[in-house]
Amino acid sequence: MEIEGTFLTKDSRVTVIKLKNGYNLSLNNLSIESMALISKHSERAGKIGGIEGKGKTVHLIGTGGTIASYVDYETGAVKPLTTAQEMLYAHPALAEIANIDADIALNIFSEDMKIGDWVEIARKIYDKIGDGEGAVITHGTDTLSYTSSAISFLIENPSAPIVFTASQRSSDRPSSDAYLNLLGAVKVAQTRLSKVAIVMHSSVGDDRLEIISGVRARKMHTSRRDAFRSINTSSLGFIDRNMEIHWNDYSEIGNEAMKLYEKMDERVALIYYHPGMGEEEIHRMLENKNGAIIMGTGLGHISNALIPVIGEYVSRGMIVGMTSQCLYGTVNMQVYSTGRNLLRAGVIPLGDMLPEVAFTKLSFLLGNFDHDTARRMIAVNLRGEMSERRRE
Amino acid sequence: MKIGLEIHFQVKGRKLFCSCPGQEDRSNLGTFERRLTVVSGENQDRDLAAIEEAMKGRVFQYIISENSCLVEMDEEPPHLPGEETLSAAILAAMMLDCKIVDNIHFMRKIVVDGSNTSGFQRTGIVGLSGKFTHGGKSVGIATVTLEEEACRKIAEEKGRVTYSLDRLGIPLIEISTEPDISSPREAREVAEAIGLTLRRGRMIRREVSSIRQDLNISLNGGNRVEIKGVQSLSQIEKVLEGEIERQNSLVSIANLLRKRGKQEKIVPLDFTEGDLFSGSALISNSRGEGKRIFCFRLPHLRGLLRSGNFRLGSEIAERLRAQGIGGLIHSDELPNYGISQEEKESLFSRLKCGEDDAFGIIAVRDEEVDKAMGIIERRVAQAYEGVPAETRAATENGTRFMRPLPGSSRMYPETDIPVIEVNEKFTEKIRREMPAGVEERIEQLVSLGIPAQEAAASVRKEYDDILEEFTREFNNPKLCARFLSTVFSTEERDVEAARYIMRRMAMGNIPLDSVEPLYIQREFSLPDGRKIIFEREGMRLLLEEGGEKREIGNDFRYSTMSIEDLEAIIDKVVMENSQVVRERGENSFKLLMGKVMKEARGQFSGRDISALLKKKIDSFIRKGGS
Repeated sequence: MEIEGTFLTKDSRVTVIKLKNGYNLSLNNLSIESMALISKHSERAGKIGGIEGKGKTVHLIGTGGTIASYVDYETGAVKPLTTAQEMLYAHPALAEIANIDADIALNIFSEDMKIGDWVEIARKIYDKIGDGEGAVITHGTDTLSYTSSAISFLIENPSAPIVFTASQRSSDRPSSDAYLNLLGAVKVAQTRLSKVAIVMHSSVGDDRLEIISGVRARKMHTSRRDAFRSINTSSLGFIDRNMEIHWNDYSEIGNEAMKLYEKMDERVALIYYHPGMGEEEIHRMLENKNGAIIMGTGLGHISNALIPVIGEYVSRGMIVGMTSQCLYGTVNMQVYSTGRNLLRAGVIPLGDMLPEVAFTKLSFLLGNFDHDTARRMIAVNLRGEMSERRRE
Repeated sequence: MKIGLEIHFQVKGRKLFCSCPGQEDRSNLGTFERRLTVVSGENQDRDLAAIEEAMKGRVFQYIISENSCLVEMDEEPPHLPGEETLSAAILAAMMLDCKIVDNIHFMRKIVVDGSNTSGFQRTGIVGLSGKFTHGGKSVGIATVTLEEEACRKIAEEKGRVTYSLDRLGIPLIEISTEPDISSPREAREVAEAIGLTLRRGRMIRREVSSIRQDLNISLNGGNRVEIKGVQSLSQIEKVLEGEIERQNSLVSIANLLRKRGKQEKIVPLDFTEGDLFSGSALISNSRGEGKRIFCFRLPHLRGLLRSGNFRLGSEIAERLRAQGIGGLIHSDELPNYGISQEEKESLFSRLKCGEDDAFGIIAVRDEEVDKAMGIIERRVAQAYEGVPAETRAATENGTRFMRPLPGSSRMYPETDIPVIEVNEKFTEKIRREMPAGVEERIEQLVSLGIPAQEAAASVRKEYDDILEEFTREFNNPKLCARFLSTVFSTEERDVEAARYIMRRMAMGNIPLDSVEPLYIQREFSLPDGRKIIFEREGMRLLLEEGGEKREIGNDFRYSTMSIEDLEAIIDKVVMENSQVVRERGENSFKLLMGKVMKEARGQFSGRDISALLKKKIDSFIRKGGS
């Protein structure tokens, strides 16, 4: 049988051919008798170029992730776009509301993000928004809230809004949430919001976007569009179907000078306590660390048997903070004797701070301040990451 | 004339990419809204058809049904297809003599009319290069693909379409033939025959809506037109005949146009504020809505817009409507719509129309003028070429414009599903279980004594296995065939009830002629006034006698006569006809049977009577006729 089509790829098992009707056909290499060249495929000239937009300038910074991805024909998998222009080409509607200055900071899957990358992204944002024009950072969803909280700490008093956005459905599909999320993020970047924010879908529909504080957001679903939730506090606001912003909690940029911190301590542990966790495990995780955040059970507990071990590390100078696996609600270590034992051992209760936020905060504090200051400030509200009142 | 078919069959079982049951489900657990955006395809060029749909800028509302989950909502990646679904598709490809692919590679086919929440339909080739023989002619099978069914459309209003998720994701087997068919009638016959063949595989859902045809047709090397959504076999011929007439007239129009002269620029002139159209309610209403009235010369089009078979005017109008622009009034249809002959003449002269020029009138918003004129100019340009390549929707007895023909660029790989290797062990297992072909199967049934007509009907309605089983169990092919054909033409096809009634009949508890009435009316009156009642729920038989009911046990005989009474009747008949028996011997049976039946009908089964009668005649002859 003869098959005519465009040769796409060949690996050790199969040869992939695109038929005239558009279908890909994967033929086992062993089932192919011979191949002959009919003609050479000529690439169409790319139409990608600069896009002139209308409206206030927004800096678009790419870091990779689903929102900026395309189909890779070698593996058939989704891979990140390589240039910011490609991204703009894929999102032409942006030009209707803003003049976009696009740049690429990183090009990685968010699960591959490292602590050093946060500093690099912070530096890039700091350089861009010095002119008072906001920045939109596209990011993968998996570790988005780690990055958004790290940037919240690394850039003090930003002189323009810093808005993160992402997508749960890749932008190579017509149903992608990327378009609306990006549009909403650009809208927020054109305000005078003094905070780091995340803009994502509020529900499974395309009729509302949520604006969530960068130190309060958490991905709460593996795949839904509305995966990101504001935990322990209401969101900063929302954007309605007509792209109008409605604020719940808006603080405007003041006169304080913007400051960039350029260090993160990489020797911080994040420990998820589980029943049966032994001393040896604790030792392995805390060895050579300067600080640790524990995700305890309930109000902030771990097995009583482990408390002396933790106490040992604290007395040697380690900063150990307690958060809850429940995520919702605050830790309270006064209610049960276990909590009081932990307090006596020197473990610091971190209120309603999210574990991941506590982790980036401690890394930030240890990287930029002396030990005592870091210990004092970990439980102090710096960027809105914790609060005294909760209404849910 | 070249006609190709694309036949879609819904496959039984679970949905293609999740575990939800594949069925229609009218429940409503809530709704959500989405928009779709056209994205760059594999080679960076956007598909024409996709853009055309997107230009309509619509909002899609989806109803969440009981049989849908996050996968249909496009909120969770697709799961792997079920093994049963894969085997069904492979079996279908085998039955059509296709080469089975080494690997099933699911692709995304961009569809932005909202009928798929993802914005694409997932589809993968399972088999290719097959052939189907029908009436001595061979029709090539280009591909057999496995794809997902779209949402069910519930409502459509301006800028908003509502869909239900219930149908989304039901597996579809699509069979695309080569354009080897050369008449509308043959198209219907081939579609029917392919359907019959696939029914042998027992993979098609039974609902009426589970089969749908698309048609491809081109005349004399002209452009291909794809016709979507032909729901029934009988519609195929009508739709094709209507389409052939349309295409022929377009070819004639092109020939005339090329003789009349080249296409010229169409220039709209604003007639909103003027003395014309005061008598037209249609135009006054448009003015009231803030629309502007534009008139323009349509060079060389007089008599081609609407006259005889020529309908270029409605071709233009349906394209405007597809883009949400009202419609077109043209000089061929005037005077009409409150526009007078005088106004028509006046427009001819004001627009400087020549002898073969027509004119058009549209009512649009200011910002829509360029778009509308662009659509008109493009359609007129195509009129010089003949038949435009496009996708049309089937109507009662013709077609209407939907969108330009999609290109292959709207396909790109589905990255959420790995390429599925089809190994030989799997295909061999399916091949071994491949059912006999339609004709072969009918022959098998006929050889069991089943009448050919009933045998064919049983294959068509997929109860041939049950018929064979009944025939083997009850040893009465004609009765079984007749009874089951009744059972399967009713709304409720309760095979267990049918089997129960047959079994009781075979045991002699009820008479033979009570079988059908008991199944349908659930009761049967015996000649002596007693009544047999069939309780389907409890699966039991009752006898009503003198106002009292009692259950009919396995040892019950419906006859009021004893076997001795029957013997007495037979003896009497034999004696009365002894002369005949002596003369004709065994051949007298028929005559005597009739006489015995007159007295014993409804009391014993015919079989029992004939057996006893044969015995008596036999012994009468052996005794030397005394």
